[in-house]
This record gives sequence, C-alpha cells and structure tokens, in this order.
Amino acid sequence: MHLSRGIRFRDKGGIVDFYRGQVLRVDLSAGSVAVEPLNTEWAEKYVGGKGLLLRYLWQEVPPRIDPWAPDNPIILMTGPFAGTNVTTASRLVVGCKSPVTGIYNDSYVGGSFAPEIKFAGYDAIIITGQAAEPVVLTIADDTVDFVPAKPRYWGMRTSEIEMALRADFDRDVKVLSIGPAGEAEIPWACISTDQYHKAGRGGHGALMGRKGLKAIAVRGTGSVSVGDAQAFLADVLRMHTDYILTEDNLWANEEGTPFLAQVMSDAGVMPTLNWSTGSFDGIESINSDAMQKIKTKNRACYQCALGCRQWHDVGSVAGEGPEYETIAICGANCGIDDLEALLEFNHECDELGLDTISCGTVVALAMDLAAKGVKDFGLRFGQREGYVNAPELIVQRKGVGADLALGARALAAKYGRPDLAFEVKNLELPGYDPRGSFGMSLAYSTSDRGGCHMRSFPIVEEVVAGTLPPDSLQGKAEYNVVKQNFSSMKFSGIWCDFWAMDLNQIAQLMKHVWRREVSEEELAVVGERIWNVGRLFNLREGVEPDDLPVRLYAAEYAHTTGASAGRAIGSEVFREASAEYYRLRGWDDRGVPSEAKLTELGVDVRLPSVATIDLRER
Amino acid sequence: MPHVLISSKKCTGCHMCELACSAYHEGAYRPSVTRLFSEVNPTLGTTKGHTCLQTGCAKCQQVCPNDAIVTKQVTVTPKGAFASKEKLGESVTGYILVVDEAKCTNCGECYAACPTGVIHEHPDRHVAFKCDLCDGDPQCIAFCQNPYVLAVDLKLDKADKALVVS
Repeated sequence: MHLSRGIRFRDKGGIVDFYRGQVLRVDLSAGSVAVEPLNTEWAEKYVGGKGLLLRYLWQEVPPRIDPWAPDNPIILMTGPFAGTNVTTASRLVVGCKSPVTGIYNDSYVGGSFAPEIKFAGYDAIIITGQAAEPVVLTIADDTVDFVPAKPRYWGMRTSEIEMALRADFDRDVKVLSIGPAGEAEIPWACISTDQYHKAGRGGHGALMGRKGLKAIAVRGTGSVSVGDAQAFLADVLRMHTDYILTEDNLWANEEGTPFLAQVMSDAGVMPTLNWSTGSFDGIESINSDAMQKIKTKNRACYQCALGCRQWHDVGSVAGEGPEYETIAICGANCGIDDLEALLEFNHECDELGLDTISCGTVVALAMDLAAKGVKDFGLRFGQREGYVNAPELIVQRKGVGADLALGARALAAKYGRPDLAFEVKNLELPGYDPRGSFGMSLAYSTSDRGGCHMRSFPIVEEVVAGTLPPDSLQGKAEYNVVKQNFSSMKFSGIWCDFWAMDLNQIAQLMKHVWRREVSEEELAVVGERIWNVGRLFNLREGVEPDDLPVRLYAAEYAHTTGASAGRAIGSEVFREASAEYYRLRGWDDRGVPSEAKLTELGVDVRLPSVATIDLRER
Repeated sequence: MPHVLISSKKCTGCHMCELACSAYHEGAYRPSVTRLFSEVNPTLGTTKGHTCLQTGCAKCQQVCPNDAIVTKQVTVTPKGAFASKEKLGESVTGYILVVDEAKCTNCGECYAACPTGVIHEHPDRHVAFKCDLCDGDPQCIAFCQNPYVLAVDLKLDKADKALVVS
C-alpha cells in the first residue's frame, strides 16, 4: 500500500534536522499501516534510542498487559545520528515489554538497519497486533506491503531469509528477521540483521514470532539532514581524528571483544563450568590468540570506523564471531575448549536466531545437573557430543530440547536446583562473575532489564584498567548510578559501547542537533531522567526485587579455585551497597522514585498509584 | 589520471565513503545518491567497490551524444591518511571527467555504458551526476580513515602519468 503523507522521499531532508519526523505504525491484526508525526516534544526531552523508546513504550504498552498479547508492541527506534558519518551511531534499539522478564527490554543491534529506516523516512516503527497468517513486511520509502511468509519464507534460517529477500526485492534491501527459534517462540529467540548482528536479549524474537512477523525488509532512498552539511562533515572528521583514530581504539579492529577472554580468565572473572570457578584451564584454546589464527578479515557495522567484527574461518564454519560473551558463556562456562565446536555452536545460534548468552547458560546448567547426578541430558562439560546439536534440539523442543527450552530459571526449578540458575529477573547473566569484580554485583542487580552488563560495566576499571579495586564495593553504588545515567544518554544517540566516549564528546555532537551549546551536566540529567522512566515502567508492570543469585555474593560460596578464589562480597555488604544505591538514586526502599526527584529531572510520566506497586516474587 | 579506488579486499563495508560523498554533494546524508559505492553482502561478508576511473575509462564521454561529459583539470589534496600518500605525495594534479549540466539531456547513454555503475540520473535535477573528486578534496578518502583499513584510496592511471604535476 502507498502511504499518503506530506513529506515525500525526494524532499531535502526531514522535518527537523537529524530526525525524519515520522513514525511508521504497523497493525498486524488489521494488516494496515499508517504514518504519524514524531512527537518532537519527547524527542527533545528523550533524544532518541533508549530514551525515546522508553517514552513511547510508556505510552504504547497497556499497563499490566500480558506480554504475549497482541497489544504488546514491538518498537524499533533509531537515534538522531543514524545515517550520518558519526561513528558507531548506526545502532537500532528494539523494545517491548519482555515476555521473559515481564519488564521493559531494550535490545541494541548494529548493522545497517537503523540508517535504512531513516533513509526510508522514519525515526521509529511501532508494530502491534498479531497476523492471522505469518507475513513479511516490506518497506520501500513510502510504499509498505505485507507479503505472505508461507510457504517461501517461514522456516528459513537467518542467512537464508536475508539472501531470499535481497533476491526477491532489491539487492540493497536491509533485513531484520527471526530464525526458526523465533517462529518456535523460544524464550531467548533474538532478532537478527545483517546475519551476525543480533538484538539478542529478552526474547524479542519470540514475540516477533508470536506476532507472525517473519521479517522486515526496508529500502530507503531519502536523506538525513544535518543543517550545514559542510560544517558538520568538518566537525565529525575532527572528532574522528581526535577521538576515534587513536591507539586506545585499535583493540577493536585488531582483536575485537575476544581480547577480553584471557584477561577475564586471568582475573577470575570468567564464568566457568556453570559458574563454579572464575578461571578456565582451556582458555588458551579459545582466547584471542587462538581466534587470530583463524581470522581472515574485519567487518564493520554501517557508519563505523572501528570495524570490530572479526571474520573467522575454520573450513566447516565461516563467519563473524564468536564475541567475548559467547566465548565465555558457550565456551568456558560449558567447559568447551574445542574452538571448532564453539564456532559451530555460535553459528547454529546465529542461524536459528538464538541469543548465545542465554543458550550457553542453559546448556551449561544442563551439563551441571548431569555432573551433579540430578538429571542426565546427555550433555557433559567439555564434550562436543550433544553440545553442537543442542541449539537445534532446543528450537525443535525435541528430546532434551523440550526441557532446555524452558530457560535457566524454569529448568533449574523443575529439577529442584534453583540455586544453579544464573540469572537476574529471569534474564540469564553474561560472562562476568562478580566474585572477581565486585562492582558487577550491583550492575547486575540494579540493571533495568535484568541480567545485563551493558548499563554499567565496572569491569573496565576493576579488571581491564585496574584503576578501581575489584574486591571492594566501596563507592560502587555511586559508580553504578553515574554509569547507568551515562549509558542511558549514550544509548539514546545511539552510540555503541565500543566508542569509549565521555559526556563532553556527546555534548560536541548534541550541539548540532539542538543548535546550541550543550553542557555535560544537562546530558547527565537526560540520562538520569531516562533511567527513572525505566524504573517507573518496571514498577508499573510489576518488577522483582533487585537481587542477585546468592552464590555470587554470599561468603560461603566463594570460589575455591581460579584467580578469584576466596573472595566474597558477603551478604551484609551487598545489602548495604544496594540500600546505598537506592538512597543515591532518590528512591525509597522499594525503589520508588520520590516526587521531588521526578520533578527535579523533568520526568513527564507518573505511576498511576504508588499504592498499587507490588514487587513480584521471584 | 587521479581517481578513487576502493580495495574490495580491505573494505569492511562501513559505507562511510558513501555517506560523506552524499553529504558533501547533496547537502544531506543520502547514500542512494552517491558517486561511489561499496556493494556489500553482509551475510557472506563480501564487498565490491564501485568507483569512477575518470579519464582512464571515459566510456561515458565516448558514448555521450551531446558532449556533456567534459574533461577538467583538478588538483587533489586528500585529507587525513591514505595509503598511497607516500607514492603520490600530498597532492596530485590531473584530469577528471565532469558533467556539463547545461548540455546533458538525461538521454541515459552513459548510464548504460558505465562499467562500474557510478553515473546515474540525479533524482532531483534529472541530469547525470558523477564523481568529481569533490573538487580536489575527496570526502570518501577522508572518512575511510581507520589506519588498518584505508580501503578508499587515490590512484593514478598509468597511461596518463606523464601529465602528473606533483
């Protein structure tokens, strides 16, 4: 169908510079689409990306809705700098009320999809409803169509659907899709784009599968305006030279995230054998040095000069990855030191559309249950047999796959060992053991989407740089508050974590958007505002208490082996630091922001009634 | 003569060159209207560079019935790092091909003739548009700056080297 709208794609740019000024609304139940103006008041207050996503989610998600219900939207949000030369800002954020955690989830993905949405004329796409029969959504500027997904596309693996849509529609079409895992509604099914790029966490792929949306193919020929383009080009080039093309950033191109593997194992931070130790004996087989031997080239996301993607080729498997998280959780945590097996496992997850962090966690748990004699799933720590096929069995829910597809929390509960599930708010934990880096405990427990390392990452100071003590929680509550506020601002740009930027650099870029001088202080306020809206959303929907698996902090569960052996945060210290975090945030002891704090931050939403808040039981 | 070449082997597929190209010429980021491009298949991890070889090719000039593709002298001084700097020096003077928009009738002969697919109808002006090395300040080279990549580079055509003034 052809959308009628005021702005045609051959105009000289969007309504407002950096934004296209339009939101595409897709109703899968009705099979209809509509465009509406971007709420520019919100765009100014919440920037884009994470912030604007949250503001839209607050509006669009019916309070307390069953996350699987058709009215729970999936929102694709871009940032103001997507489609420009600003390095790493091509990221897309996918958001919904997560069917896994029951709270909000924002999952970020690189590749080229967000810029293409902008070029097609939209800042965001809001997808609601549920298709009667699965569909593929095609967007070519202002022409939007629903194409039946069956029989051709339904069932395709992620590489197949991308290649097929390029062949069927346009060589330059950008594809966002789910694999068989999303179709099967596996709780940790992710959304893929450019094959190796995944909006991984929180089950967006499962929700997309429930909605009957196999893929979105978009092609945009419009433009993103930036005011005075020559001046902007010159300023961006200056920033690249000063901040991007520096020695500090070369790790990205040289090694990418695998460089962390040896560092984390040496520091006792690497989850190993289902979190039973922090150092992996077989690390040398799967660390960066091992990866370098099979590396053939670098790949980059759209508009990124860092180019951190490592292309590996072992003959049987070739492609990007694995990234550090996969090395840790699917490698060390499963006791796997067979690089080829690890690559095959990673490849299977990519093709099926499974988040490797959650998938590896579940497989490691199954191995642990077998090792402890609780239940034999045919999976053994360190053994290739069963391991490489596990993702496929999970997606088909065949054999042991039916149990594994429950996810870590439900699987551990089913067999009476909830203490062996390493998750926060039902989101499986990434590859950093807080026993080797105490600050990570609060980063996990207070993360707004459950077990996540992206909102605050004390690993940088506690382990990589060594500028903060890894075995103390002193001052870490404040550290986490500051970093969460900062990342909320940064992920609204949307800049990638791999540009180690600061507020000053963000201010230098935001002044082009806001057409005025921008202070670091006001950007910190924007970040804190966004974090508080996230908290309000979670309180509105019902959120579990901010907690951590007891093994990760209680004194009696300190590791006995590895580099972090003997270290424990201690329950009392952890509780105190958690309380300190709430105090610093201006939240009460249930984590409810005070009216004074919300007013101070200019938050424009309020809980319907504070009396209705209940912190769900785990 | 001076022209830009993308090393398909080195290119990471980041599209920075297309973005800079379109912003410089169109006044806004619009890579669908770019004067060079890297054909990227992210699934297979492959790239293929497409750039104008200027006078070294000149197919567009040969087929133009209206003499709208004209030879122009230009001194190119790329910003930032570029791999061939050592060989070519900071700047290179030579000849390129540009579109005389007053003469162009948008007949399409050159679009069909171009072996690299980098001369097209401009969607707004409805005449041919092509690479002019940004009048000597090629933005594509400036923005292909990762020291390990430098995939977009300035090259000289061997046949015309006698004309080079460094």
